[in-house]
Amino acid sequence: MRWNNRLKYVFLLPAVLWVLAFTVFPLLYSLRLSFFNVRIGQEDIFIGLSNFARAFSDVNALNAARVTLIFVVGGVVIQLLLGLAFALLFSRPLPARNVLRTVMTLPLFATPIAVGFLFFTIFYEEGGLINGLLGVKIPWLSDPDLALFSVMLVDVWQWTPFVFIVILAALQGIPEEYYEAARLESASSWTLFRFITLPMLQPTIILVIVLRVAEAFKVFDIPFTLTAGGPGASTQVFSMFIYRTSRRFFDFGYGSALAFLLLIVVLFLLMSFFKRIRQVYQ
Amino acid sequence: MKRVIWLLALFVCAFGLANAQQYLEWHADGSVTLITFEDNERITVSAEQLGTLFGPGQQPFAGKRIAITVNNSGPKGGISGPLYRLRPAWQELTGATLSIVEMPLAEQLPTTINDLRLGLNQFDGFIQGAWYMGEYVTPGFIIPIDDYITDPRFPQWDPSWWPPALREIHSWGDSIYGTMNDTDAQVLYWRNDILSDPEWQARYQAEVGTPMPFPIQTWDDVIDIARFFNGKNWDANDPDPDNGIVMHFRVNEQGHFHYMSMSASYVVRPGDTVDRCTNNYWFDPATMEPTINSDGHVKALEKLIELASYGPRAQVGWDLGTAWDWFLRGKAIFVFSWGDVGALVQDTDRSVIRGKLGASVLPGSAEVFNMCTNTWETPSEPNVVGNTTGGSWHGVISARSPNPEVVYSLYALMATEPVSLWNVERGWTGVDPGVSIHFLPPAGTASLEGYLAAGWDESDMKFYLDAYYNNNFSDTMLTYLRINGAEEYWRALDQNLSEAMVGRLAPREALNRTARAWDDITNRRGRDLQLKQYQESIGYNP
Repeated sequence: MRWNNRLKYVFLLPAVLWVLAFTVFPLLYSLRLSFFNVRIGQEDIFIGLSNFARAFSDVNALNAARVTLIFVVGGVVIQLLLGLAFALLFSRPLPARNVLRTVMTLPLFATPIAVGFLFFTIFYEEGGLINGLLGVKIPWLSDPDLALFSVMLVDVWQWTPFVFIVILAALQGIPEEYYEAARLESASSWTLFRFITLPMLQPTIILVIVLRVAEAFKVFDIPFTLTAGGPGASTQVFSMFIYRTSRRFFDFGYGSALAFLLLIVVLFLLMSFFKRIRQVYQ
Repeated sequence: MKRVIWLLALFVCAFGLANAQQYLEWHADGSVTLITFEDNERITVSAEQLGTLFGPGQQPFAGKRIAITVNNSGPKGGISGPLYRLRPAWQELTGATLSIVEMPLAEQLPTTINDLRLGLNQFDGFIQGAWYMGEYVTPGFIIPIDDYITDPRFPQWDPSWWPPALREIHSWGDSIYGTMNDTDAQVLYWRNDILSDPEWQARYQAEVGTPMPFPIQTWDDVIDIARFFNGKNWDANDPDPDNGIVMHFRVNEQGHFHYMSMSASYVVRPGDTVDRCTNNYWFDPATMEPTINSDGHVKALEKLIELASYGPRAQVGWDLGTAWDWFLRGKAIFVFSWGDVGALVQDTDRSVIRGKLGASVLPGSAEVFNMCTNTWETPSEPNVVGNTTGGSWHGVISARSPNPEVVYSLYALMATEPVSLWNVERGWTGVDPGVSIHFLPPAGTASLEGYLAAGWDESDMKFYLDAYYNNNFSDTMLTYLRINGAEEYWRALDQNLSEAMVGRLAPREALNRTARAWDDITNRRGRDLQLKQYQESIGYNP
């Protein structure tokens, strides 16, 4: 019996070691780095919280935070609205509905790096697909404001299907009896949506927001391939800034501090959402 | 049965022998012909050039393996291509095995530095860009090669082939670390068929009121001509209007290199010394104070922005290849860029302008800023400043490699006169001309026939070689930033240049921001350390 008790720990050991080696250790090592000025070929110098303080006075870090925030808020809101609209549309009887649903999900399976390069050709100003068809020269990637919108557009293209699938599944789980009862009371379509569909979808919508926000804060590959962060720093998102700081400039201390700041912000947001989910269920 | 076994053994031996000599042909006088992979081109290296280490039946490094990092351009691409072409012949010569480790340009330095720092030591050598030198040399990650160069056992090449500026970027202090390979620099290319056309010259005079400033002397001449041609359909290749110039400013790529080359003539004041106001560009060599926001730099950036306005608007999001293609498709009068352009123009699959090319050293400036007196000076002749802008991609040897001699034998073979010429004449190799053996007499020792046999148009080639000779042997040269963190300094500049190019920052503000960023980088990396490296790298004596 005692041996059996111990045996379960033996079986757990590989998983524990895995987590310790590949999650806990890198996290702790990164935390240590964030308190040091790390210079290749020299001793690391302890500098306390200076790396964290530096982030709040660094124009590039602040710009990256601003760009990321616009990207997350703008992108997730559009994805949510479009995903919801498509889910409502495709939950109704439509000709070739199953085929259309499948087509709708295709962008999800594309590799973001490939998507970035694909849209680079689509947005190409001198005769790219869109400008070629329209016969105009819209500066999709050369205008700083439009470039951020273009990056957002690609993210929306790729991730709206995810929102669509999840909400569609939730929609199909709402019992038809609720709607029938409301219709007996002559409720309008808007009333049905406002007082039945939306409240019933609320936990799912919050879950979708949580997942998309967490993912969108980490966005890297699409802006990296599509604009490389430019023009200027107009599409340099936070994770790209961290990557450049750490990996290209070997400023591992500052890069680690930035990564922890991002982690704290995302954790705070997620905890707020989870709190809201708990409230909804209670 | 026995007979069958004997026949099989014979066949295996014959096949093995045939294979062993597949890429080499030894001659009675000791010379050897290297046969390139896939293309089966033949390069003959004399016994003297080959050194004493190699010979028929000798494989001095048999069984050894080395790994070399290089940009990921593939087996037929620039810089990496020659390694693939020569690898089988070198392997047969040495008996060693070469692993070519391709890496994206942006990943090469971080990956190799991490490897060295963590002691993984996966690589024996690196085909590095010149700006990596400080990162590799100062922590002792690479070794000097002076002893190998003079060692008669190895393939022979001569550092005196380099012009002084190129020798400098392959060295640190008094030691040479890099083996001759590529020699990068930027020159001005133009459409000679258009600019030398009397009809266009007459139209220019009629419209502008002055004769076309051709041959070009200054950047103002370039601006005037680009302004005139921009928006006109001066080329019959398509019905659309064409541009005056094409550049590329996709951030985090190579746009900043163009600013450096162009601004040098406004900033670098000629003279015999190296100090704050003479032969200087980046920092005050006494204090490490950035000089990137001096009036000379600001004026240069203003000129660059004006010049860029005579190119396609989309170029702020373009990379190098896209800009080159624009020029090759006959859409721009000017491009100023690396030697690859001259070679690409010859490729009629990609270019419609073969035989129509003009090239020269980058133009000068009518005035140059004195950073000591903070005044503008007007020299009697335009201030022309040569450059070694770019990677000048060349091999260095890891200090952690157990096989440094094997690595050097590869680099040295690539640097021998016949192999180097083979690379330069073909152009697609990414190896650009720059040393005396690449130029035609009297400037050098190369032959016209070699270039013509490789497919060059004679007029294009003469313009091209003249431009590179005049650039590389210019009296005044732009110093190269090779200190630790060069990449980081340049990225800060690149981002602010891009902001200025799209109008989000005024030129002075963009350069002020760059100066502040440079100061932060210097402080973080250690001002004294950076200063010492900067002084060493530009030959400044306090």
